[in-house]
Amino acid sequence: MLAGVQIICFAASYAVAFILEVSRMVFRSGVRGALMLGFAAAGLVAHTAYLYHRAVNTPGSPLSSEQDWYLIAAWLLVAVYLYLMWYHPRQSFGLFLLPLVLALIGVGKLLARSEPFAREPASRVWGLIHGTAILLATVTVLVGFAAGVMYLHQDRRLKRKLPPPRGVRLPSLEWLARVNGRALVVAVLMLVVGVVSGVVLSALRRAGGLDLLPWHDPVVFATLVMLLWLLSAVAITARYPIQRQGRKVAYLTLVSFVFLAVALAAMLLLDTAHGGKNQDNTARAAVGWVVPAAKAAGFTHVIAESDCSGSRFRVPGRPHNVHSHTEA
Amino acid sequence: MQVVGCSHHGTSIALRERLAFSGEQAAEALDRWRRVFPGVEAVLLSTCNRVELYSAAAGAAEAAAPDRQQVAGFLAQFHRIEPREIADALYCHRHAEAVRHLFTVASSLDSMVVGEPQILAQVKQAYDLATRSDNTGPITHAAFQAALKCARRVASETAIHRRRVSIPSVAVADFAKQIFERFDDKHVVVLGAGEMAEETLRYLQDDGAHQVTVVNRSYERAAQLAEAWRGQAVAWDQLAEALATADLVVSTTGSAETVVTREAFAGIERARHGRPLFILDLAVPRDFDPAIGERPGVYLYSVDDLLAACEQNRAERDRELPAALRIIEQETGRFMAELYHQATGPIIQQLLAGWQKPKEEELARLLNRLPGLDAKGQDEVRRAFDRLINKLLHPPLQSLRDESREGIPSRLMDALRKLFQLKD
Repeated sequence: MLAGVQIICFAASYAVAFILEVSRMVFRSGVRGALMLGFAAAGLVAHTAYLYHRAVNTPGSPLSSEQDWYLIAAWLLVAVYLYLMWYHPRQSFGLFLLPLVLALIGVGKLLARSEPFAREPASRVWGLIHGTAILLATVTVLVGFAAGVMYLHQDRRLKRKLPPPRGVRLPSLEWLARVNGRALVVAVLMLVVGVVSGVVLSALRRAGGLDLLPWHDPVVFATLVMLLWLLSAVAITARYPIQRQGRKVAYLTLVSFVFLAVALAAMLLLDTAHGGKNQDNTARAAVGWVVPAAKAAGFTHVIAESDCSGSRFRVPGRPHNVHSHTEA
Repeated sequence: MQVVGCSHHGTSIALRERLAFSGEQAAEALDRWRRVFPGVEAVLLSTCNRVELYSAAAGAAEAAAPDRQQVAGFLAQFHRIEPREIADALYCHRHAEAVRHLFTVASSLDSMVVGEPQILAQVKQAYDLATRSDNTGPITHAAFQAALKCARRVASETAIHRRRVSIPSVAVADFAKQIFERFDDKHVVVLGAGEMAEETLRYLQDDGAHQVTVVNRSYERAAQLAEAWRGQAVAWDQLAEALATADLVVSTTGSAETVVTREAFAGIERARHGRPLFILDLAVPRDFDPAIGERPGVYLYSVDDLLAACEQNRAERDRELPAALRIIEQETGRFMAELYHQATGPIIQQLLAGWQKPKEEELARLLNRLPGLDAKGQDEVRRAFDRLINKLLHPPLQSLRDESREGIPSRLMDALRKLFQLKD
């Protein structure tokens, strides 16, 4: 039965929840809140079932492919949305979070690769740590971005002395600034863990006689710049107590989102060792547990092939002799 | 059901004050009502904007139910007023009109500030008091519970309650609460001693604000106000220090000149280090230079700014009014249909009983003639008889229900009595 759950099932549920959220601006209804929660929760159940089915039937899952990575990021964002809606049912969080969820699912379905990778036991733990940390950093940056947009929108309305628009209620500036500040700190911590685990993975590769991922790889470069940016942002905001950060953090999280978007676009569209558009799927398949997470994450400098024996897989740009390890 | 009373629509505050009941007086009046009109249900609603006495009677007590004059006399006697003084001021609604009025009042559509939330709590209190003092009965229970349900529907299905229309309530609900998540850790500074400052402060204190500083040109006056508002007084020359630590400022001085200029605020701003500041400038002419509102982190609102928001809210509320009135009509219709239908209860019971006896007789005779029928077969036959009776009774019962929507179906009830030879 789980095999029958398709991406379109939960995407449609989230889309309906989003349409209901937008309809708040048009008309009032006594049952809409329950319907929104119902559709989002039903979507999350289908989403969970889909990921579970993949985890059971696809070696290396979760985080076994780029598509999984996007879908798990969307799953986490929906969980955040439901949590917020449960405790603040009158706030319009869905207007800002659900488009991000739908965008992640859309990119996962249309642009990201869904082929799973073969496993490579020696680096499994580090690969999972790396992928999970990068995943959480991404979700946190997205949450911070949504909070930042809400902050600026709310700030603009208050400055223009306008009452809340019909059907749209946002949290207070104080709440948004606090969420923003925390999102920034958590994103930095997760990204540091992601990068450090990536370095460890790289060391493991080197011990296996494989090449290192070049530092000028677009994804690696964008990720490192983003980390530097986030560290600077945290340093800037640390000078002020939370109640004084406000717009500063909101703008910083918006810029962080731009870096994230650049890194994701680089991974999806450019020829990069992190799963660029021209890369050979077979070579990617050989990477195992390390790279699925890392590649999908798109921020690591772990190269796209890895095996402790170091003898069978190609280094980008070199001739290769590949045995497919793809496990469907 | 009947309601006799007066409200802010057409009755002076002086008369309303004379007719108003304190909590103790209301309990005493209900006690007296029980003795004067035994068996007649009553709920007394007394607020600063209205005094209303809802009464109802069913069955044997119907004959003892007081009319408008008797209720007016009861109110006048309790307050020791001449009945003629209030006779013209009181309105009276009966039956569906009384129910509609109760639903309208509970939903806050009849309030001075439409949509204000206190009235629902006051209706609940009045109903609870009447219930505790044993003045309620089946009709008032049903009517007041339906009124509370109707008010909840209006609140959830329209935005009429969410749109504030008074300046202090708009300032707090639509602006201050959108800036600050909580007020218990905020410093409120009050400049001057205007009435609106007091009302705003009351809203803020209801939301947890307790750190209040009062600044006035007269320190004595500041000390008086600080005591009344549970805050601390500060001398006028310490205004800059107070503003440097403030989170919210409510200003209502009578000064003819700007109290805080842009230049003066520049020094204060440096000491604030960018902390957000909500300034409610309710003074005319304004106390704060409007240019201060352009500074980052400063949210400055004057009376004119808030009036615009109030007007917008009022227009939104007016747009919601038809939807709210539709709900009132639906709920009134539903309630009255149920009430009228209850009057047909005895007829329905007689009809059912009248068919039950021949059914049992015929069933017994049939089963006697079929001795070989097993228990399962007997059960089937019984069910067939029951179904037959239900089908035969369905059209008259449905007709009774349909007719009850418009009132007590007396003619139909008479016809049924004659057709089926039913006795009262």
